[in-house]
This record gives sequence, structure tokens and C-alpha cells, in this order.
Amino acid sequence: MEIIEIQKERLVIVEPRGRIDTNSAKPFGDRVVELIRSGSRNMLIDLQHILYISSAGFRSLLIARKLADEVQGKLVLCGMSAELKRLFEIGAFTDLFTICATRDEGIAKAQ
Amino acid sequence: MAPMETRIRNRRDEMPAIVVMLERFGAEHRVPRKILNEINVALDEALNNIISYAYAANERSEILVRLTIRDGRIIVEVEDSGRPFDPLQAPPPDLSAPLKERKVGGLGIHFIKNLMDEVDYARVAGTNRLRLSKKFAAT
Repeated sequence: MEIIEIQKERLVIVEPRGRIDTNSAKPFGDRVVELIRSGSRNMLIDLQHILYISSAGFRSLLIARKLADEVQGKLVLCGMSAELKRLFEIGAFTDLFTICATRDEGIAKAQ
Repeated sequence: MAPMETRIRNRRDEMPAIVVMLERFGAEHRVPRKILNEINVALDEALNNIISYAYAANERSEILVRLTIRDGRIIVEVEDSGRPFDPLQAPPPDLSAPLKERKVGGLGIHFIKNLMDEVDYARVAGTNRLRLSKKFAAT
């Protein structure tokens, strides 16, 4: 999986591409955790180029979310398609994350 | 229509071969992207469960995945010779737990049931047979 990272002052925008499944969940999750551990406190994960997330990927997102809370950081998700949103709904994850429709809203929310 | 099938070893790093097969099958039969994504999630969950729980440590085995089109549905059959496991009998995940106590155990089966139209399991002659079915209209 390809992960694009953009640093915008204090904010880091993480843009994974492809699928977050059993095999890619670990490198994706590891990278996000590494960014938080190394001091990123404002993170936006833009999911516009993600086809789908399976439960392994949701586990990675949950770990990141909990870690961001522990360090009083902000972790915001944006850009998800209606289909991807449905997976969040089936897994009852929508209330556990801050979700914005667009990248601009996400950037504002993650500051 | 001709089915497409392949066998992988019971290792997670072999799972991408199944994604490749499904994408090829989907393109040949003009299956909409949304349906392919949903089947990909269901297969990812089913295979990950089998590889994680069906075998003893270091036990080597093979898993068969077969794709067929019948009556406007994609039928996905997954067969493994691991220990008997009926995913339909697995306890449902706790979806109401707050963030701190939230786990993803059981979530895979929950996704499969919610994304597929039909899910059947049978244990036949030492083989677990999982059959998923999903309706679609070709694009």
C-alpha cells in the first residue's frame, strides 16, 4: 500500500491509497502510530483513495484513535465514499471517530 | 459461465492472490465496483479467520476459493480442511462498547453477514465449506 504524507505546519495529512485489508492494515497502522509517537498531535487521515477497509484495518484505526486520545492529540478522518461510510456504519465506528466530509473541513477540525 | 478458482496456502501473505483473482473475475463479468469491494471485504474476513483459527501453529494446508456466476449472483465458495468452524454460530461483536473497551473480535463475521445476501456453512467430509452469495446487475 502507498501512503502519502503531507506536513502542513503542525498538521500531518496521511493519505493511504488502495485497500486497508488484512495485509496492508499493519504497515498502515504502524506508520500512523509511529507518527503520533514521534510527536504528531494533529492528524488528518484522508480516505478518498481507499476502496474499502476490513476489520483488520478498523483495528488499526481504533488503536490510532486510542493513542491520539492518550496523548491529547487530534485525529480526524475525511474523504470517505458513501460505500466506505457504510462499512463504518456496519461496524458502528461512526461515533468513535471525528469524520468530516471534505479535506478542507478535516484540516480545520484537526488543527 | 465458467467458474474461476485458485488455491492458496494458509498464509496471510498469499491472500493478495485472491484479490487479484476476484478483480479479474469481476472485470470479465462486468461486476460493479461496489459489489467487488463488498466481496473483497467478505473474503478478506473469511480467509483471515480461517488462517488465524483453523489450524495448529505451523500446520500447513491449502484453502480453495471458487467464484461462479449463477442467476445474477456471484457465488463465492471457500473450502479449508482446518478444524470445524461454523462462522454463523460465532457470538456477535459488542458494537456498543465505548472507545476504550472497543474490540474488533467477531467483527469479520458481522461484516460478512451484513455485506452478503446469503451466507451458508457446511462441514462435509472433513472440509469446512463457506458459501457466500451476492446479487448484482452487470454494468
